[in-house]
Amino acid sequence: MTTIASREPGTRGQWWRFAALLVITLIVLVPVFATLLLAIRPSASSSASGVLTLENFRYIFTSTDVIVWLGNSLGVTLATVVVSVVVAAPAGYVLSRGRSKAVAGFSLLLFVIQSLPVITAIIPLFVLFARIGLADNLIGLVIVYVGSTMSVATWMMAAYFDSIPHALEEAAWVDGCSVFGSFAKIVLRNSLPGILSTAIFAFLLAWNDYLVALVFLRSSVIFTLPIGLQTFFQQNATDWGSVMAVSVVMLLPPAIIFAVLNKYFSIGGIGGSLAGR
Amino acid sequence: MTPTLTAPSTTATTASASTPPAGKGVSRRTITLILLVAPCLVLVVLINAYPLVVAASQSIHNGTLIVTGDFVGFSNYLDVLTSPRFWTAARFTLIFTIVGVFGSWLTGMGLALLLRTKIPCRGVFKVLLMLPWVVPIVVSSTAWNWLVSTPTSPLPTLTAKLGFGEVHFLANPTLAAITVCVFKVWVSFPFMMLMTSAALAAVDTTVYEAAGIDGASRWQQFVHITLPLISRSTYISWILMTIFCVNDFPTIYLLTAGGPVDATSSLVVLAYRTVFQDQQTGPGVAIAFLMTLVLVIVSTALYRQIRKVDIA
Repeated sequence: MTTIASREPGTRGQWWRFAALLVITLIVLVPVFATLLLAIRPSASSSASGVLTLENFRYIFTSTDVIVWLGNSLGVTLATVVVSVVVAAPAGYVLSRGRSKAVAGFSLLLFVIQSLPVITAIIPLFVLFARIGLADNLIGLVIVYVGSTMSVATWMMAAYFDSIPHALEEAAWVDGCSVFGSFAKIVLRNSLPGILSTAIFAFLLAWNDYLVALVFLRSSVIFTLPIGLQTFFQQNATDWGSVMAVSVVMLLPPAIIFAVLNKYFSIGGIGGSLAGR
Repeated sequence: MTPTLTAPSTTATTASASTPPAGKGVSRRTITLILLVAPCLVLVVLINAYPLVVAASQSIHNGTLIVTGDFVGFSNYLDVLTSPRFWTAARFTLIFTIVGVFGSWLTGMGLALLLRTKIPCRGVFKVLLMLPWVVPIVVSSTAWNWLVSTPTSPLPTLTAKLGFGEVHFLANPTLAAITVCVFKVWVSFPFMMLMTSAALAAVDTTVYEAAGIDGASRWQQFVHITLPLISRSTYISWILMTIFCVNDFPTIYLLTAGGPVDATSSLVVLAYRTVFQDQQTGPGVAIAFLMTLVLVIVSTALYRQIRKVDIA
């Protein structure tokens, strides 16, 4: 044993660290395992037999409004993603290429905005939107989400545009291309990674939001999933099977994006860290 | 002409080399830039800046969500600042933020350092440990609720079996506060792990060889080499986590709704409850506004500080 240890000094420590990490990971993931497991276990009240079942999913999709809420969540989230990117990309370009005092001021404005508590904006916006019929309304929700993504999304796009050589554009300008033309045809076309990260950031913000939806949405037909999920909790008899099945539905889209676009997910999720660039 | 770009250089160039298009005046370029930034600016002003002005006005009126009410000067602020609930919430916000920032930083950095060493299945661990951050708060709070909320939940049952008696994780004020803070650390440590990992990856390992030759211990190397080298990233992650913690609503609200008896009411939760449950718009907005003022001052100061670190 000692001979092996002396020949490969790192090996034993390596397995100790592995064991420690394994225990830590298992403990950390208990809530995740619990969610997945309860979702596929038969409910206490259900007639389904066996150890594993999709009964909970069948129930939530056929007997509750979950399918409607899922549709609402998907619609709101996709709209937020598209509008955020379309608005933030040009603004990010200005932040990246502009060099006046005004641009520096804009940059500071975005930084301050980003650190503002959502709650402060939410209350006046609720009053304003209630007056024009946008309070209990999914379009109103999208507008608020897009507004909340703006500072970080603009920053992320600017950070990516910074990495695109100016020389490319300058060459195009010499050939008579306009500033907008060079932005659209050269900068934007080469910015897919930046756009993806920004889109994922907007996706996570809209998909995971609880506070804005809680304040704005009143009628159950336009609930998004996070609000809908809360209706499953009852004082003493929460049907955990259904709750966890809805949770899994809610968890899947971010999990899939994380699995497929891991790198961009990290950048998108970290979003705000670009604030210090 | 279609320019081909193989790999965008990763070093961010400072915006100084751009020249306006040949044959077109500077004003033409400026107009284009203004048009490009306009939609974003309009949205930011409408959704972020304008409500701030309205909030300021709401906080000095005694209205409700529907009517503006009468002008009452600073009495809402006086009421808020003299109410014990506000200070309880301020105290909890401070504790929640400190535990959230440093708890998640220490955990995240510890794991990042561990994951940097040679370990079997390192990649798998890296992905699995990101999960608390990938899972939406609405979902993870549900799972945590299942684990601890009632006396018959798994964790209290476990503590009872281990002889600690029945532990009421969310019913006892102190325990509820601890549970919420632990939940916040659980949610946030992957962010810190990611930030630290990225910073550590950029550290030149030859520095350690030199230090090792000079006889520096592991701990000395960590304190005197690693920490200073990743200080900028650490600094930024602290700032961001501070903002995330102070502004956090769902992590607290979904687990305890601020209870029991305000024990886990942060300022955001208190502001929400004051406006939407107690129907007191003025004081509620005043709470939110006091929070905003502090955050604006803090974030502006920190922004300057980061710029300074950048130059240094």
